[in-house]
Amino acid sequence: MRRALLAITGLAASTTALVVFKGSPGATQVAQNLPTAQPVNPTPQDVDPGTGPTADPVAGAPTPSVAPSAPASAKPSKSTARPPGSPRATTKAPTAPRTTTKAPQSTTRRVTGPGVDNEYGFVQVQIVVSGNRIVDAVSLSLPSGGESDIHSDDVSSRYDGTGGEVVQKQSANVNTVSGATETSNSYKQSLRGAIEQAF
Amino acid sequence: MPTATIRPGLCRVEQIMGTAITVDLADDLPPATLRELADEVFAWMREVDARFSTYRPDSEVSRFDRGEVLLSEASAPLRFVLEACADLWGATDGFFDAYATGRLDPSGFVKGWAAQIASDRLLAAGAANHCVNAGGDVRVRGCAPTGAPWRVGIRHPWDAMATCLVLTGTDLAVATSGVYERGRHVLDPRRGAPASGLRSVTVVGPDLGVADAYATAALAMGAAGLGWLNGLDGHTHAVVTDDGRQFHSTGLPVTD
Repeated sequence: MRRALLAITGLAASTTALVVFKGSPGATQVAQNLPTAQPVNPTPQDVDPGTGPTADPVAGAPTPSVAPSAPASAKPSKSTARPPGSPRATTKAPTAPRTTTKAPQSTTRRVTGPGVDNEYGFVQVQIVVSGNRIVDAVSLSLPSGGESDIHSDDVSSRYDGTGGEVVQKQSANVNTVSGATETSNSYKQSLRGAIEQAF
Repeated sequence: MPTATIRPGLCRVEQIMGTAITVDLADDLPPATLRELADEVFAWMREVDARFSTYRPDSEVSRFDRGEVLLSEASAPLRFVLEACADLWGATDGFFDAYATGRLDPSGFVKGWAAQIASDRLLAAGAANHCVNAGGDVRVRGCAPTGAPWRVGIRHPWDAMATCLVLTGTDLAVATSGVYERGRHVLDPRRGAPASGLRSVTVVGPDLGVADAYATAALAMGAAGLGWLNGLDGHTHAVVTDDGRQFHSTGLPVTD
């Protein structure tokens, strides 16, 4: 019963998303709030698939990649009906983030790795190659799972802290980085696939 | 083989516990002393891995889980960790659950706890300025090699190469739990299903093992985790929700 309900609302949500996107491509409210996708980082940077957060690379270069909402994989059946303009809806747009992150230089090319399923969802990695160097690796899709039931309005009344704003990227110098542990095997598989295709 | 350094101390990374462990010693000690201190840290981390790894069938945790080791026969570290996990289960309303996956897996506490002990030992050995980073769980003390207090970035949940906040301090334990890389590996122990609502939870406090467990618990609580963190004494937090919003306690030592 619950599953059926989810499926129906999911269908409704995805349909809404499609309609909304057709009507005003990339012009949803949240998409504007999010840090916009930047052009490909011109600074050559080796991609190291084995390591997670390392200290210094963060310092100089917030790498482009897609906008924060993009990795959310399109999984309409799992999300509940939501108002148009929600991040999930915007991530349905298959082309918008990618076209905006297109490299300004003609020498770079993008190679997309195979989609790899794991128990949490679908993982797909795209690499940006400039000459013989990988200058960026972007997750086109990462597992994102369930719906968010947090609304900043609900939270603020009883919350002593600050916030509610859209998460920003900082490029400050740091000595070290705190983050959750490490890359999944699916990510490595997709990355390896992209590298094999590229070279 | 002395190398020319422009900074005092020593920084070394090793791959242990399926993750990268970094030890950054900022004290201007003799090179041999620094190497010895780093060696001791990594030896300790390998010892913890051998004992607590759930991936090794011969680890004490795995043997205990299969009933081949009784509690009365367990080593002192294992008994300590089991007791700590039981305490944390109570302190988190059951949301930190070392049995959430159906088998004993105290990893959500062990990594931070091991790094905390490594840091305690470095301090006791006279290396008062150091950073131990165990797969994203960070314990810093004193100052960085720059001479200024440590600057600890919190990883941006949607961009592995960017940070979303920078913390600074001379005595911080910073643990982050997130669902961005391994997928939803944190289970809500009450439903047995992946947690949702929060994308990344960072907890800052005096003890890295506890901070790690609290971050894992809050992530498993989903949306309710924010209110729970808000009421925690002696700890501050930063949270990013699934829909890309950021919240943090006013006492969080944030810097530009």
